[in-house]
Amino acid sequence: MEIKAEIIHNDSMAKGYFKLGLACAVPEVRPGQFVMLRVSDGLDPLLRRPFGIYRTLGQTRGRTLGTRGSSSKSKGIEVLYRVVGKGTAILSGKRPGETLGVLGPLGNGFPDRAEGSNPVLVAGGMGIAPLYLLARRLGEGTLLFGARSKAETFLLKDFRGLGLKIKTATEDGSAGIKGLVTGLLENELTPESIVYACGPVGMLKAAAAISGKAGARCLVSLERSMACGIGVCLGCAVRAKAHKEEKENRFYKMVCSDGPVFPGEEIDWDLL
Amino acid sequence: MGPVVKKTKAATEVTIAGLKFKNPVMTASGTFGYGAEFAPYMDLGRLGGIVVKGLSLYPRQGNPGPRIAETPCGMLNAIGLQNVGVDDFIERKLPLVRNAGTHIIANIFGETVEDYMEVARRLDGAEGVSALEVNISCPNVKKGGIVFGTDPQEAFKVVSAVRKSTSLPVITKLSPNVTDIKVMVRAAEDGGTDAVSLINTITGMVIDVERRRPVLATATGGLSGPAIRPIAVRMVWQAAQAASVPVIGMGGIMSARDALEFIIAGATAVQVGTASFIEPDAAVKVAEGLEEYLSKNETTVQDLIGSLRTA
Ligand SMILES: Cc1cc2nc3c(=O)[nH]c(=O)nc-3n(C[C@H](O)[C@H](O)[C@H](O)COP(=O)(O)OP(=O)(O)OC[C@H]3O[C@@H](n4cnc5c(N)ncnc54)[C@H](O)[C@@H]3O)c2cc1C
Ligand SMILES: Cc1cc2nc3c(=O)[nH]c(=O)nc-3n(C[C@H](O)[C@H](O)[C@H](O)COP(=O)(O)O)c2cc1C
Ligand code: FES
Repeated sequence: MEIKAEIIHNDSMAKGYFKLGLACAVPEVRPGQFVMLRVSDGLDPLLRRPFGIYRTLGQTRGRTLGTRGSSSKSKGIEVLYRVVGKGTAILSGKRPGETLGVLGPLGNGFPDRAEGSNPVLVAGGMGIAPLYLLARRLGEGTLLFGARSKAETFLLKDFRGLGLKIKTATEDGSAGIKGLVTGLLENELTPESIVYACGPVGMLKAAAAISGKAGARCLVSLERSMACGIGVCLGCAVRAKAHKEEKENRFYKMVCSDGPVFPGEEIDWDLL
Repeated sequence: MGPVVKKTKAATEVTIAGLKFKNPVMTASGTFGYGAEFAPYMDLGRLGGIVVKGLSLYPRQGNPGPRIAETPCGMLNAIGLQNVGVDDFIERKLPLVRNAGTHIIANIFGETVEDYMEVARRLDGAEGVSALEVNISCPNVKKGGIVFGTDPQEAFKVVSAVRKSTSLPVITKLSPNVTDIKVMVRAAEDGGTDAVSLINTITGMVIDVERRRPVLATATGGLSGPAIRPIAVRMVWQAAQAASVPVIGMGGIMSARDALEFIIAGATAVQVGTASFIEPDAAVKVAEGLEEYLSKNETTVQDLIGSLRTA
């Protein structure tokens, strides 16, 4: 789906962090899916930018009575983003009422949880954004959050009260334990655990390795520069371990259309 | 003095190598997948044609990442010609689009002249393929990696070999990475091509100054998008002056006005590439904008082709 969506809000949450609300009726969104946003109608920046869907807005959630016909549709979506470059800087200057080109929802998102598993969510900084819908759906388990310092812990606010235990690690020790979030992961795992991870590549690689050692499944959400977001430019390739049984025997997977969520053991982390 | 506009023929219709195109707007190879991926975003039948991703004799895995980098008003790519291979295309991809109501053009490439011939042969009998577009911007492994499309003799060899291997119309896709495009046009014509298309991407490079490394894993890549359009228009204009076969123009087309530049410079048809990444239905919008321009100015594409005034 490609539409022009009106901006409902574009609020600063903390220095360099924004929450963007877009008015667009989207079909059902799976946790972990993303949208491609056109931040400018001009030619520079030329390409759309990918952002995880943080949550859907205006879902009826039992408040409206009567017809259920349109209940799976929401009135909008929300995206959390951090300003890192040209595109996100332009985005941060947009005002409510302006419109933005939205393509999505895209990608496969997180698969439904296996029965009886113990979910452990691992987030590094802004990587927490695509995990909100998942946390809300799961309603139990543990969220491990890694950040540079206490300043980023405002990202946890919406996650409180969802039914997950929250543990934090910061690099400077200003909140939670001092160290990396993957340090927390080691103590959380049982072979029944299922790990959902999103964040910097180093964190994902470590999370996949730790989970593998504990015999737990690990699903990682990857990022790559994208041009199309729909699997046609073949630009967002990541190296996967070759599968003998696959006819095409592809060892590249496209983050946008095969992912962005992959089983950690499918990724060739050394050649990524 | 203009001739009376024939009411029986659509103002947008053009003919290339005996093939009628309902409008002169096609999608460019490598920017439109195998076609079916775009069906959710538009009516494919609105397109003049679809040129599919470059096909090789065997499936190709492509290059390691990063494969793309954005540049001012453009992008660099080093996909490495990843594709499913010609047999899989015929078996699994072609059936999805052969009834889409538009011409399907198979873009082909190889590492040797023999590769090109074999791919052309396999596509010859494939139901639903209207023409071949021969991408000659590939290194010849048997000739120490010299790029077919930058050496007139090599270009002649590969075009004439493909010509002998197929009964389909042959379009030769030229590389812009040459000093004199007219020489390459003549080489392709001598090889028996029915049309030429240009431009393919221009070799470029971006460097990450913090890490002092190239951004692309392969160091260099191909530049596309509006950044290359003036170069493309110039080359299409030069090619059209030298060519006796139809010219298909491309390079950075984002709108109908951009497409018109190419047509006025001498292109019989155009292809839309990178724009489809940004707006999936960009090519349809270009075709619609073209129709508007034609009716507003009461003219036809045919009358506009090469209508550039230089005096
Ligand atoms: C599937 C997916 C989901 C994402 N979800 C979110 C999200 O919810 N919130 C959010 O803030 N960001 C998210 N990102 C990252 C976001 O797309 C980039 O931060 C954004 O494209 C940067 O654009 P820019 O023009 O500001 O930066 P540029 O000027 O393009 O680049 C500035 C810096 O950011 C780096 N960068 C560029 N693109 C990416 C990328 N795709 N991933 C990581 N680093 C990048 C560049 O290497 C450079 O160092 C997601 C990326 C993907 C692939
Ligand atoms: C990601 C990408 C992949 C491409 N793959 C091919 C290809 O397989 N074969 C080919 O002949 N041209 C390929 N091209 C070149 C385009 O068909 C076109 O010639 C070029 O991009 C210029 O047009 P544009 O600026 O409108 O994109 C590719 C271009 C891009 C951006
Ligand atoms: S971004 Fe184009 S294939 Fe993934």
